[in-house]
Amino acid sequence: MSEVVLRVTDLSRRFGGLEAVRRVSFDLRRGEILGLIGPNGAGKTTLFNLLVGLVRPSAGRISLEGRDVTGWPPHRVAAAGMTKTFQNVALFGEMSVLDNVLTGGLVRRSLKEARALAERVLARVGLDGIAGKRAADLSFPERSRVELARALCTEPRVLLLDEVMAALTPVEMNEVVDLIRSLRDEGLTLVVVEHHMRPIMSLCDRILALDFGEVIADGPPARIARDPAVVRAYLGKAHGEPAGPDAGAAAPR
Amino acid sequence: MKRWRRCLPAVVLVGLAAAAPLVLDPLGYPMRVLTLVFLFAAMGQAWNLLGGLANQVSLGHAAFFGIGAYTSTILLRDHGVTPWIGMLVGGAIAVVAAVALSIPTFRLRGHYFALATLAFGEVLRVVANSWTEVTGGPVGISVPFLGDDLAMFQFTSSVPYYYIMLAALVGVSVVFWRIKAGRLGYRLRALKENPEAAEVIGVDTYRAKLAAMLVSAFITALLGTLYAQLNYFFDPDTIFGLATVSVRMALVAIVGGLGSVWGPIAGAAFLIPVEEFANAFLTNQAAGVSQLFYSLLLIAVILLEPRGLVALGERARRLARREGRP
Repeated sequence: MSEVVLRVTDLSRRFGGLEAVRRVSFDLRRGEILGLIGPNGAGKTTLFNLLVGLVRPSAGRISLEGRDVTGWPPHRVAAAGMTKTFQNVALFGEMSVLDNVLTGGLVRRSLKEARALAERVLARVGLDGIAGKRAADLSFPERSRVELARALCTEPRVLLLDEVMAALTPVEMNEVVDLIRSLRDEGLTLVVVEHHMRPIMSLCDRILALDFGEVIADGPPARIARDPAVVRAYLGKAHGEPAGPDAGAAAPR
Repeated sequence: MKRWRRCLPAVVLVGLAAAAPLVLDPLGYPMRVLTLVFLFAAMGQAWNLLGGLANQVSLGHAAFFGIGAYTSTILLRDHGVTPWIGMLVGGAIAVVAAVALSIPTFRLRGHYFALATLAFGEVLRVVANSWTEVTGGPVGISVPFLGDDLAMFQFTSSVPYYYIMLAALVGVSVVFWRIKAGRLGYRLRALKENPEAAEVIGVDTYRAKLAAMLVSAFITALLGTLYAQLNYFFDPDTIFGLATVSVRMALVAIVGGLGSVWGPIAGAAFLIPVEEFANAFLTNQAAGVSQLFYSLLLIAVILLEPRGLVALGERARRLARREGRP
């Protein structure tokens, strides 16, 4: 087994009376793709915000490549090698696509190097054709790709993706899945939150299921899809929720 | 080549401004107005570093302006220190004051930051009014006149002041332009649009804002000394004034166009002559007519194009180009 890149121990966050994340623990090994699933409000985005430092934990520890980064501000966590994309896409609208991505590169590089890196990253995610466009003028799928490129430009060791496949066509979704795989092959470690079950089941090495802020299951996709607690968490909800975890999995039974 | 072409309008404008005293009467009113335009454009540019690039709207920049003016003037009056040195001391004190102001206020967003800076400027105004032994109090302070002497930053002719203000404007604009195009500029524009996203991709938003604030405060203090040397007299209510300095600096940048190097230049070139005109020709009318005229013009500009004069000009140019095509 490869080394542990990210170790999360008993991480908790309480907002007033609500415990949004409760005693979450897991290890992430280098090159792993971890899926994070759970019904709406299960605490997935809060967990991401805790990991990158946007939200301070009430208790617990986060260790990134052996360094304790608990309570660090986000820019230091990014410099240490972990960043995320935003669920609602948070680009710098008045800046060009290239300038958005380039700004991510400034965390480690000079302006000149960051620009060269940004151009390479944009070519890789297939956005080099719109590098000069204003970010606010892009379509939603384009914006979500620019955000992915911007995060990649910080040269992370651990990348947290919050629903990057939302609003994508199946073809585009496959492209993103291929991209994530190739990033992993280069040594990047990823945590992926996704409502589309088919890509997450085929992509992830391991899945962590959350409900009411707690880990209810942790294991390989095939086992998670059959896990009684996971099935209950999904089926016990009113309709309007995303499909159950086995909706897209390769016939679990 | 391309870079040269982009600099061309600036070079032409500076050339024209530099040649103007050859044809203008050195004691005339236009020289005086142009000198003020350069000074206020430079002040708006300094404000633009923080307010325009990072959207940290300060209504207290008079604090730094006054610190600069008082420091150099008191050093000259009491110790015979030349204002060339005094302005650097004033700049250093303004930087210290900016750090003291930034530590508690940078956590505040939007209006709260504006209110906190406003209070800071007002506090200094009150202090300058009451600390009579040092500042001369409400009656004001005069710069002792020592005769025509470059080393002491004093001239009997208005021409040197004209060129000094022009040089200051060019200098501050170059600083603004270099910062905007550099690493700090990217960081500031990013945090202006989305501070959380900027942090997550590695921008130390606090440090970036602080850097912009310190440069802005330092330059503003230097310009305070220039103002003192130009007028030879000032009092606390003018130099630390909310309307006379703080709001005017913001207005020059906002009316011209936030975050653009041409914004404060256009803003000052518009506002200062209008203000002078209103004061000169309308003050004999019923009370308030000149202020009313000035305010109505301001409102008209902002209604016409909220992004300011530079954006308005671009829109007009695009329209003209479309009309020009058959």
